[in-house]
Amino acid sequence: MPAEEMGKLSDKVRLTFAVSTVVCVLVLAIAPLKDFRAEWKHYKRSFVKFAQGRPDTKKLLADYSPNIDQVWLPNMNVTDRCTTCHQGVTQSSLTDPSVPQPFRAHPPIPHNVRDWGCTICHRGQGPATEVAEAHETTLAWEQPILPAHFLQASCGSCHQADLKETPQLTRGRELLSRLNCQGCHKLKNVEPSRLGPDLSSVGVKVTRGWIYKWLKEPRTVLDKDGNTTVNGYESGDESRMPKFRLKEEEITALSAYLSVQKAKPIETYKINPAVIAAWGKKPSLISDGEVRFRQMMCTTCHPLAVTRGGETKLIGGNIAPELTKVGSKVSETWLVAWLRNPQAYLAHTNMPRYGWSDEDLYKVSQYVMNKLTDSDLLTTVPQLGVANDEEVQTGKRLFTDKGCASCHSMNGAGTQKDFGPDLTALGTKNASELEFGKAKIERNLVSYIQTKLQDPLSVNPAARMPQYTWNQADLDAVTTALLSQTGAAPTSALQHLVVPRKESSFQAVGSFGEVFERYKCSSCHRFNGYGGTLAPDLSYEGSRAQKKWIADFLKNPQTIRPALILRMPQFNMPDKDAAIAAEYLSLAVQKPDVNPESVDAKQFTPAMVSLGKQLYEVKYQCQSCHTIGSAGGYVGPNLNNAGNWLTPAWIEAWLRNPQALQPDTLEPRRDLTEEEIRALTAYLMTLRVGIKPQSASSAASTHAFAQGAGR
Amino acid sequence: MKSKLLLIAMLLGSVLCVMALSGCNKSAAAVNPDAAFGAYDTEPDWNDASKFTPLGYQESQGKRIFYQYCVWCHADATPAGPSNRNNVTPVPPLMNDGEKLNGESDEFMQNIITLGGSALGKSAMMPPYGKTLSPGEIRAVISFSRAIAQPAYQRPGRPGSQYTTK
Repeated sequence: MPAEEMGKLSDKVRLTFAVSTVVCVLVLAIAPLKDFRAEWKHYKRSFVKFAQGRPDTKKLLADYSPNIDQVWLPNMNVTDRCTTCHQGVTQSSLTDPSVPQPFRAHPPIPHNVRDWGCTICHRGQGPATEVAEAHETTLAWEQPILPAHFLQASCGSCHQADLKETPQLTRGRELLSRLNCQGCHKLKNVEPSRLGPDLSSVGVKVTRGWIYKWLKEPRTVLDKDGNTTVNGYESGDESRMPKFRLKEEEITALSAYLSVQKAKPIETYKINPAVIAAWGKKPSLISDGEVRFRQMMCTTCHPLAVTRGGETKLIGGNIAPELTKVGSKVSETWLVAWLRNPQAYLAHTNMPRYGWSDEDLYKVSQYVMNKLTDSDLLTTVPQLGVANDEEVQTGKRLFTDKGCASCHSMNGAGTQKDFGPDLTALGTKNASELEFGKAKIERNLVSYIQTKLQDPLSVNPAARMPQYTWNQADLDAVTTALLSQTGAAPTSALQHLVVPRKESSFQAVGSFGEVFERYKCSSCHRFNGYGGTLAPDLSYEGSRAQKKWIADFLKNPQTIRPALILRMPQFNMPDKDAAIAAEYLSLAVQKPDVNPESVDAKQFTPAMVSLGKQLYEVKYQCQSCHTIGSAGGYVGPNLNNAGNWLTPAWIEAWLRNPQALQPDTLEPRRDLTEEEIRALTAYLMTLRVGIKPQSASSAASTHAFAQGAGR
Repeated sequence: MKSKLLLIAMLLGSVLCVMALSGCNKSAAAVNPDAAFGAYDTEPDWNDASKFTPLGYQESQGKRIFYQYCVWCHADATPAGPSNRNNVTPVPPLMNDGEKLNGESDEFMQNIITLGGSALGKSAMMPPYGKTLSPGEIRAVISFSRAIAQPAYQRPGRPGSQYTTK
């Protein structure tokens, strides 16, 4: 290059510099531009525009700032920037569904949004400032928000006790307990359930062929529309025994092993030959047996298939096995021994010990063995013959390998625990920690749980988990309960907010304890939070009912609530047992502030009675729910015999505040004056009828009702 | 030589540009959860079990309270089977009867549930629930009845609002 040209810039160089300067400025300008165009700023600005179009602009914009908003709760480890976009969350005027998201107000919930933040309930990523990162799983953020449908899972992370506001979570926990998921998995806040039956003596109860059939085709079938059927009948209830994917030779071996289990020989009971001679020839034997079966209200606990109008459905309770084909399952000797003393065969069974006359025992067992049968039940079972040693040994090994021992105990050996993975922190798992296998499903926790529950093999071909059948509601409920398993509370501040589950027990002692055990009162009734929920809570029965009435009722239960299909069984209770139970219940099981002696019925005058009758019929129109005579509604109990049944102290306390005595009762609390309460009590105490012994005709009508009401 | 320099400068600039701009235009696509999971709860259509009405939080609390307290007289099928509706005169309206209930204001509904029928000159067979349910619970029941109403309930417009009924 010549020297005179040094230091002179050519046009080309100038152009180069000009272009690179422009490029540099452009590049530098991108940063503020990017910031200006941030997604959240767009929502900030559109909220201002939105607020300006509403009459309460000033109120809506009172807290407005153009920056990122956040709820910061250091004690709870919450930094939620959700309110940056969800700016109307606490604005009471923005509740209407027509308000566009993300500006709509949060619906009223028991917790204040400002005190709790958002992610404690909704999960997702609080600190994120982009829509996708806050709500979904992205490369850097692993926790998506919980779909609204499963939100109750978050309630369950802290509230270990059941809440009335979260029915889906409660149902899910109940299913986890009922299906004994804890037999294999470790779970939190799930009540331990009863195990499957002890199989130590199963060989004396059923044949090898039946065991084969049971293992091959567990009775619950799920059709393509998602309806669960039990033995071919429609049922809303789930069978507890799931389907294990067993090979033919495994079924053969297991049936061999189980059929030789005869640890406790049955104590055979000889029914008086005179009874058999007298009844055996009668053509009405089976139908009389059925009448007795109905009268004793076996169907309160056991469902039975009933065909009406060409449609077969299960009718009856759901706390005991379905009995439609039980005659083809059990041996007659076993049935008779079982009916007399169920606990001798299975110590933990809920079945009460009825008082049986030989006549009843013969009639009912003949009905069960001859009518509740299915001749086709075992036709598909191959000839298995007597179990050989090799089969038994293989079966024994399979019993543990397949996880049978997680639910069933055998020959005194307890059940096997921790057979499956620990699930106590399942709800906090990131998608990357889950094994999806070849399943073509969305990569998130909810779809993983639902797929695994519906078809364990689809996500893991080597899964040992058996196949359950679910309807959509139960599947969602169990998913919710599993999502609530979030391990230890995330921070110490949340730790002391945890509401623990209440442990409850009711110890019945002395001679009442024996009666209580014999008739298994707690299978259906609840005492101080302990026991079943099928029948009324009896925690305050001593304050409520008169002693004589309790004794009469136990001997001959009458229907108090006409709308109920499931009724108190007829135990054939001897006078002595009824007297012991009545004595104990009326003295020991009371509401402390409702002393049954505190109100004397003698003080009631005819004037009070007529005022009470008028209040009942005209002013308060109690007949809309209660029946007196044959008229009235059947929401509340029938009051025809209130004078013999209830104590005046109870009626008064009840009228003052029903919810204080029974928190979930639907009778509303009213503004009654003391005078009105006295008058109504006086009137109700005059309502008395004599209890007629139950006749065969009333039993027949019971039968018709049970069929008619099963819709 | 110079043209090469120019080329390099421009290339560098455009690469920088692209790098800086990437991520800038990420679409603000709304989260679109599965329709079935989107609703907090659902209620089957009372006349057609194959249809569902999605319910929000408040409406689902109303559903729970409805099925505990109201269903016995305000529906034709109850969890226990038979309904008490026809034992009561005058026959109470069904909870989804839009023709009867859509015309009643939220205030009227709140009052009749709180104070009972006789306080508003209606049947005394409707008892007062004001001492049993909280005002919030009663509002929840009303929102549930609005959600399942047939024909659908139209919220009355607030004066001056552009976000009233569509």
